[in-house]
Amino acid sequence: MIASRLRTIVLVVISAFLLVLLGGYLVDRFSKPDRLDIQVIIKSTDDSVEFWQVMMDGIEVAANEFGPSVAITGSRSEADIDGQIALVEDAIEKKPDAIILAANDIDRLVPVVEKGESRGIRFFIVDSGIDSDVPESVIATDNIKAGEAAGTEMLRHLEGTGKVAILNFVGTAASLIDRDRGVRSVLEGKPGIELMDTFDAAGSLSNAYEIAKRVLSEHPDVRGIVGLNEPTTVGAARAIKELGLAGQVKLIGFDSSVNEIKLLEEEVMQATIIQKPFQMGYLSIKTAVEALGGASVPRVIDTGSLVITKRNMYEEENQKLLFPFYDR
Amino acid sequence: MRSFQTHIALVFVAVILLTILIMGVTSYYLSRESVQANAESYTTELVKQVNKNIESYVNGMLYMSDLVANNRTVIDYLSASSFPSPDEEKKLKGTVTDFLESMLVSRTDIASVNLIGNGDKLLTGRQDLIWNPYIDLRSMKWYQDAVAAHGANVISSSHVQPIFKDRYPWVVSLSRELIAPDGRSLGVFLVDLNFSVMNDILKDIKLGHRGYVFIVDQNGRIVYHPQQQLIYSNLKSERIGEVLKARNGTFVSDEGDDSRMYTVRDSDFGWKIVGVSYVNELAQNSDNLKVGFLVLGLACVALAAVIAVFLAQRVSRPIRQLEKHMKEVERGNFDIHVQVPRTIEIGRLARAFNLMVGKIKELMNQVIHDQEQKRQSEINALQAQINPHFLYNTLDSIVWMAESNKNREVIAMTSALAKLFRASISKGEELVPLRNEIEHIANYLRIQQMRYSDKLDYSIDIGDSAMHYYTIKVILQPIVENAIYHGIKKKKGMGFITIASEETENELLLRVEDNGIGMDEETLKGLLRPNAGRKDGKGVGVRNVHERLQLYFGVPYGLVYSSRPGEGTKVTLRLPKITDRNDSGE
Repeated sequence: MIASRLRTIVLVVISAFLLVLLGGYLVDRFSKPDRLDIQVIIKSTDDSVEFWQVMMDGIEVAANEFGPSVAITGSRSEADIDGQIALVEDAIEKKPDAIILAANDIDRLVPVVEKGESRGIRFFIVDSGIDSDVPESVIATDNIKAGEAAGTEMLRHLEGTGKVAILNFVGTAASLIDRDRGVRSVLEGKPGIELMDTFDAAGSLSNAYEIAKRVLSEHPDVRGIVGLNEPTTVGAARAIKELGLAGQVKLIGFDSSVNEIKLLEEEVMQATIIQKPFQMGYLSIKTAVEALGGASVPRVIDTGSLVITKRNMYEEENQKLLFPFYDR
Repeated sequence: MRSFQTHIALVFVAVILLTILIMGVTSYYLSRESVQANAESYTTELVKQVNKNIESYVNGMLYMSDLVANNRTVIDYLSASSFPSPDEEKKLKGTVTDFLESMLVSRTDIASVNLIGNGDKLLTGRQDLIWNPYIDLRSMKWYQDAVAAHGANVISSSHVQPIFKDRYPWVVSLSRELIAPDGRSLGVFLVDLNFSVMNDILKDIKLGHRGYVFIVDQNGRIVYHPQQQLIYSNLKSERIGEVLKARNGTFVSDEGDDSRMYTVRDSDFGWKIVGVSYVNELAQNSDNLKVGFLVLGLACVALAAVIAVFLAQRVSRPIRQLEKHMKEVERGNFDIHVQVPRTIEIGRLARAFNLMVGKIKELMNQVIHDQEQKRQSEINALQAQINPHFLYNTLDSIVWMAESNKNREVIAMTSALAKLFRASISKGEELVPLRNEIEHIANYLRIQQMRYSDKLDYSIDIGDSAMHYYTIKVILQPIVENAIYHGIKKKKGMGFITIASEETENELLLRVEDNGIGMDEETLKGLLRPNAGRKDGKGVGVRNVHERLQLYFGVPYGLVYSSRPGEGTKVTLRLPKITDRNDSGE
């Protein structure tokens, strides 16, 4: 009697226990494994710069597809290095699984990234890197290649002999340094071409304009200018137009914007080397998620670059890159 | 061995488990089918709705195209090779422009409405815009396509429209060559639909978690795709070839875990609206369903188990109650009354139990009473056996005979007395062989005869076969004593006592007859009645014998007296035939 009663009680207790166990398992299952937390810090969240807006679009698409929780921050301007360091500090405080960084400075971001690594945060680079082995993967345009493409285009368009000037935006950004190197590697030592020192516009379009105007005035034999990014190109173009040198001074630029499209149409600019910010954003999240999931990822992923001229600018494949249809 | 309660509980649980299992599995399969069918029909319906939406926009453009193509003023203006005056031309141009502008009123979905006529006849409904000087309109794809189509409406894929200065909107263009009645080409009509309209319709559509909708035109060019960039850079691919082959319908791409279900719908104007959902998400739904049913089922079983245990406890409680009471009874407590439960069967059981316990109690009391009586009558018998009067008288007789020097008589009487006593020794046994009893009564009679030698004679005639039957002791002495003192002593002349036996099939009958004074009917009746005739001690011994016989052997046995005054008395002792001491005859 007592034994059977005991057995009944044991039966009930066991089934209750199993139920609790099952419930726990299901709650576990339905609450889903903790979503990966990825902090993205880009160079600038200034919404007038299409490049970053499109990259954010790519990040968003990838976040939806691969499921991590993603927060994007960025300093006010690309030259705001201290601001970006502070942003990385803040991101580290949030203890994310990974930080994806588009570094404003090749050297000065290193200490804070190393600090983050020591706290177990994993780093990935998008667009622009740092001089450190901490980041597991760099998802960016191969900027040396892109620079070479720009140099090749300049070579193709140059008529006669003369000087070529290179306008940099922020002399400490890795991506721009590489482009500069790429351009130089093609143009250096070519007969009839004299490469001038690279000018630094210190992060402003108006500086670029002033520098270009001064260079063009002081050196009438300048036959070509390479703007290493969008603002420097537009600044240089403004100077060229103002001085009535459109077509005589060849301009090769980087990236794309409505201004640059117009420059192509007006034939003030002969070509622009565009990157694929959407792919960069998308692949940076994809790579980070894969790496966090334990897969081995390539150390460098080249998202590629494309030469756009007036002739190919309205081709179907290029339209999406040149005229990104992103959600503002 | 299981308890009744566990048994009931287990049966309950088993039945419920089976029921839940059957219902759960059935409804799981039904639900899964309906979930998948729902997902499919939902996607189909959604794609249909998208198609309808987009068609309504395209139909708007087609309507505009028809309006323009059939407008006399437009045809007149475009077909005129020269105008009477610049004013006239300006007026006509103004009318046409106003007409184009009027079509744009409250149409935010339309980016622009334009006429590209021969020569410098360029008209647009968007007066606020300036033509892009760097663009050759007649080299644009939509222009060429329209010319190639000879007056049919041509709907472009989505593209950037750079025809206006500083404007690079994404549009879908409808272009149509306008043809004069005489067959001359008058130019091309162009209406641009803001692509953002479609983008707004399509971008938020989600099929499941990752599914989406995309559109291709008849040439397989992507009109809209939420991840168009990924497709151009080969990070993703769509089954465009299969989509183009499929008319309205559904197919599934075989990509393992990433298999996609394509739901294709043809629009009126050549586009294909395609809904893409991920197969594993549908499967995940059914997984969730499975888990849901499992949880529900287990919860039900657990609940059922608890209820079953509770019910089983309730049902078996009266039985356990009864069992507890039985244990009490086993322990000897008969002062128990079980409450009768409401359940019919158990109620009957409880009532029967109560009855049984009552009966047992009664019988127990009876036994105790009988035992007491037995003890009492045995004491009485013992007293009768060693009657002090008899002993005194006998010893007195011996003294008297010794004084008279009758040595031989003294020896005979003393030895008879010794034998009498030896015969009554029975080591505490209740039952003695009849031989003992006979020897005892023989010695008794011998002593009495020596005392009343002139008045008493006797004969004992017992068959050998009767001698080995068992009887309780001291049953003859009281009867003989009674016969001597109340029958023969009061009679004049010689008294005679006969003791004989008779055997029937089951009974042993002992007869004691005397030829004493006998007794009247009333005395006869009162003789064996309990508590009667106690005043003088008369008959006490006889009744004691009767009671003891009945106590030992039951009611049919005992004494039967028959007597007539003056003629003597006849007593019959009815005994069962007992051949074994342990067989008490009951």
